[in-house]
Order: sequence, then C-alpha cells, then structure tokens
Amino acid sequence: MSVFYFIAFLSILFSLLVIFAKNPVHSVLYLIITFFTFTIHYIILNAQFLAVVNFIVYMGAILVLFLFVLMMLNLNEDTEPTKSIYVKLAGIIGGGVLLVTLVGAIKLTAKSNPVVLQDVNLGSVQNLGKVLFNEFLLPFEVSSILLLSAMVGAVLLATKEGKPKATTV
Amino acid sequence: MTTLIIIAILPIVLLYIGLYKANKLLLPVTIAGLLVALASAVMQWNNGASAIFSGMMLFDNFSVAFSAIAIVSTLLILMLSKDYFERISDNVAEYIAIMLFSLAGIVVMVSYYNLAMLFVGIEIMSVSLYILAGIDKKNFASNEAALKYFLMGAFSTGFLLFGITLIYGATHSFGLEAIRNWAVQHPRGIDPLFHTGIILIIVGLCFKVGAAPFHFWTPDVYEGSPTLVTAFMSTVVKTAGFAAFLRLFSVSFAPVAEFWMPTLMVITIITLFVGNLTALYQHGFKRMLAFSSISHAGYLLFAIVALSATSGNAVFMYATAYSIASIVAFGVLILVQQQLGSDSFECFNGLHKRNPFLAATLTIAMLSLAGIPLTAGFIGKFFMFSGAMSRFHLWLVIIAVINAIVSIFYYFRVIIAMYFRNAEHEALTVPGYYQFVLGFSALVTLIIGIYPAIIHNLTYNI
Repeated sequence: MSVFYFIAFLSILFSLLVIFAKNPVHSVLYLIITFFTFTIHYIILNAQFLAVVNFIVYMGAILVLFLFVLMMLNLNEDTEPTKSIYVKLAGIIGGGVLLVTLVGAIKLTAKSNPVVLQDVNLGSVQNLGKVLFNEFLLPFEVSSILLLSAMVGAVLLATKEGKPKATTV
Repeated sequence: MTTLIIIAILPIVLLYIGLYKANKLLLPVTIAGLLVALASAVMQWNNGASAIFSGMMLFDNFSVAFSAIAIVSTLLILMLSKDYFERISDNVAEYIAIMLFSLAGIVVMVSYYNLAMLFVGIEIMSVSLYILAGIDKKNFASNEAALKYFLMGAFSTGFLLFGITLIYGATHSFGLEAIRNWAVQHPRGIDPLFHTGIILIIVGLCFKVGAAPFHFWTPDVYEGSPTLVTAFMSTVVKTAGFAAFLRLFSVSFAPVAEFWMPTLMVITIITLFVGNLTALYQHGFKRMLAFSSISHAGYLLFAIVALSATSGNAVFMYATAYSIASIVAFGVLILVQQQLGSDSFECFNGLHKRNPFLAATLTIAMLSLAGIPLTAGFIGKFFMFSGAMSRFHLWLVIIAVINAIVSIFYYFRVIIAMYFRNAEHEALTVPGYYQFVLGFSALVTLIIGIYPAIIHNLTYNI
C-alpha cells in the first residue's frame, strides 16, 4: 500500500510539473517520467502486458517522437501565444466542472475490495492472449481494416503528386 | 457478416486495379461490388438473426436497413465521383478505396452489439474521414479541415473511450445486453460510474454526429473538405452516427432514460437553434448546407429523446429523406463550382434558364430539406414530430416547428435565386452519371413524399 501512495504522489507531482514547466522540452521530459510512474502502477496491478506496452510504445516511441517535433519546431517561452483572460477563465471553469463531476463520482463509488484480486493471473500476457483470441477475436480482426486504411492514407498523403492538372473544387 | 467482408475486400481489389493503371475499370468494379454487398445485406432481412462471435455483432433488421441506406447513398455519391477525383490527383483508386474502408467502418457501426465493436467501427470510419478531408493537398482549406477534424475527432474519441471504460467498470461488461441487464437490476439511486459514463458517451457521440454544443468543427471541416467528401460526411456518416447512437441508447440505456433524457433534450434544442439561426447568415451555399446539416442533427435527435419502439423507423425515414436530398444538393453544387468556380448564392442566379433540369431537381431537394409536404423531408419530419408528441414533448415540437419555419427562409433563397433572378452565365452541362443520380434521387424524394407507405410498412419494426 505504501508503495502505491508513494508512486501516486510521484505521478501527480510530475504531471503538475508537466503543466507548470515553462520550457516545452522540459515539459515533455517530465511527461516521460509521469508515464514511467504509470508503468510502475501497472506492474503493481499485475497488468504485465499493459506495463510493457506503456513502457515501449508511450515512453519509448511516442514521447521521443514528441520531443523530436518540439525540437524541430524550436518552441520556447517567447513563442508561446498569450491567451486572453476570458479564454483562461472559460478553460478553468470548464475543466473545474468536469473535475468536480469525476471526483464526486469516484468518491461515491463503494470500495470494491481494493487489494484482493478475484483472479491473480488476471493481467498476465497468457490470459490476455486467451481473451483476445477467443472472446474478442472479431474486434481484433476488424482492427486490421483500421490499420490498412490508415496505412493507405498515410502513403497517399505523403506521396509527391505530379504536376497539378486543373483548378480543384 | 458477408456484407462486411465484401466491403472490406472490395477496396483491396481496387488498390490492385489502381496498381495496374486500369483506371477505367475502377468505377464499374466499385458499383458492381457495392451492389453485391447490398444484395447480401438485403438477404439477411427477417432472418431471425442472433448475435455472432460471442455477442460482438448482431445483423438484425435494424442493421440491415441502415447498412442498405448507407450502401445506396455511397453508391450514389461514388457515381458523382466520375471525373471528380481525377481533377485532384492521379491516385483515384486510393481515394475510392479509403471511402470504402470508411463504409466498412459504418457497417460495423450499425451492427455492433458490443462497445468494443462500436469503438473499432467509429475509429475505422473516422480515420478514413480524416484522410479524405485532406486529400486535396494543395488546397489550404482542405489541409485545415483535415487537421481540425483530426484533432477534434481524436479529442472526442477520448471522451467516448473514457465513457466506455467507466461503464465497463460499473457493469463488468462491454456487451449491450449485459449492460441493459445490469441497469435493470440496479434501478434505484444513481450509480456514479455508470451515469458519468453515459454522460461522457453522449459527449463523444454528439461530437461525432455534430450536435451543438459540440458542433464547432462542422462548418470549417464541411466547407474545407472537397465537396464530394463533404457529401459523404453529411449523409452516410451522419446516418451511421445516429444509427449507432440509437442502438446504444435503445438497447442498453433505455432503463435509465429519465436520467439522460433531459440532457439530450437540451442538446436537441440548442442544436436546432444554432444550426438554423447561423445558416440564415451564410453567403456560401456549401457553408449553408453545413449549418443545415447541424440543424438536421437536431431533428434526428428527436428519435432518441422520444425513445420508443418506432424510433428506429423514424430515424430511418428521416435519414433516408435527408441523405437523398443532400446528395442532390451537393451534386448540383459540384457542377456549379466546377463550371462557375464559386459557391455563392449569386452563382445560382437564373439557373432555371441555363439548365431547367438542374434547377428542378435542386428545387425538389430544397423543398424536401425544408420539410414541405409531398416530399420525403415532410414525411421524415412528420414521423419525428409524431414520435415526440406521443411522449408528450409538446414544447419540443413547438420549438422544432418554429425552427422548420426559419429553415424555409434560407432554403428558399436558393430557389428564389434560381427562378427569379437573372444573370449572364453560360449554360451548364450535366454529365450522364450526374443526370442519373440527380434524377433518381429527386424521383425517390417525390415517391416517398407522395406514397410513404412503401418504405414505412417495410421498416415499421426495425
């Protein structure tokens, strides 16, 4: 339990640092640490597959991509656009209302045996595979259409066109 | 299932045809493939379907009807694509293929029986649409539309997914029936996870169908995308979105209707006013159609607010009428844009003299969208309003009628421009495919308007 509270504290601390860091690159670096703490959460919850995927895909691939883009765009404190006070106020109110709703909802939830897992091997890769290829076979297969479509589209958007023919509509 | 497989394989065939540069074959093969898919969908009618793949999908009459209307609308839109994509680039096969991938997602969306399938279906459709919005790479507006649509769509997907996980947390299942059973077994009190989940799903789905206050991406995306893609988005995609919306709420969330009904009622009223009042101030025909599509989303929400056994039928009638009339409007818009280079109302001045056929079909479409009797649009509105009346939503109907009257003003602006204003533009030519699509759609609009029983009796209980 104490490990959980310590890691939860770290998660919140670093996610706050993500928001408050002035330099976008620092912000992303803090985000990487935040995701690392999430990975530890997943390990504590015995969700092995999720932990590995989170570690490799989010921390490894996506955030490095993020960092590259930020460095290429060369953003720093000066280029940050200033927002009007009304936009900030609207953002604060909107986000605050959502936060109150979610916190209220979670506070009302009855505690559901926080430590006792019904099935100890729930998050293991083996069980996940069994569920994925039995019960959730169809969504798994249909996802291939999604990937194929995205792939065709990415190639299409990235290919160089020949000379433009006529004015387009 | 056969329908889905055919629609998923067809684009791959098209990609191979594109690879071997047989561009003349593309459209005939697409049309033939879609007709086969349509036939295989219709064969499922009244088949006494049960959920397949451990409750993932259910091809009942509801999904057959909506798959059929989606396939027919796509067919009509693809017929308009003759010589359209060629103007944008050489990769025609890919464009048609991505549109068909999107259709595959739509078939999943209208026949899901598990929230996991709903999510996969919505994502297949959306990802294809983000690409389609940006296919006109040299056009700045198209780039803007694609980026805006992508960011907003990804954001709204986040809401939808969060809602789905909260509902899973409460009910321990993604299956629609299991969720309903859980809701029936826990009738008293408010369950925080479940109800927050419903609200978040409403937010996510309202984003996807473009209902106010989640509509702000619609005008820019619809205006910036190539016109043919806009036609696809505002007809097929909107129909599918509402079919998915309706299936989820009528199967799973009907037991807790008194909780989400007021929320949706407010959303409906805001959507009607925002769509109609903003459409009044538009100068471009395309942007006007974008706002009018927001207002039609408001009318379509009626069926979900007044949820009953006939809601499916009401949505089907309305979506059919709206899709067919919109296809005519967009078809004429494409011709006018291509030949006059602009889409402002002035371009429609004197269209009656330049091409009586175009003017006549567009008039029928506008009358149908405005909901004038003897057109399909009137029948659609009639079923929506009578459904709402039967649940005693009198004020809602009064507000909707006021909005319908407002909408007549901007739809008739086009008709007035066509018949009562003169302009010295040269005559417009209408290619053969366009003549067929416009004539067919106008005819169907009139037939449904005069004799609605043909469709109504068929789909009474979907």
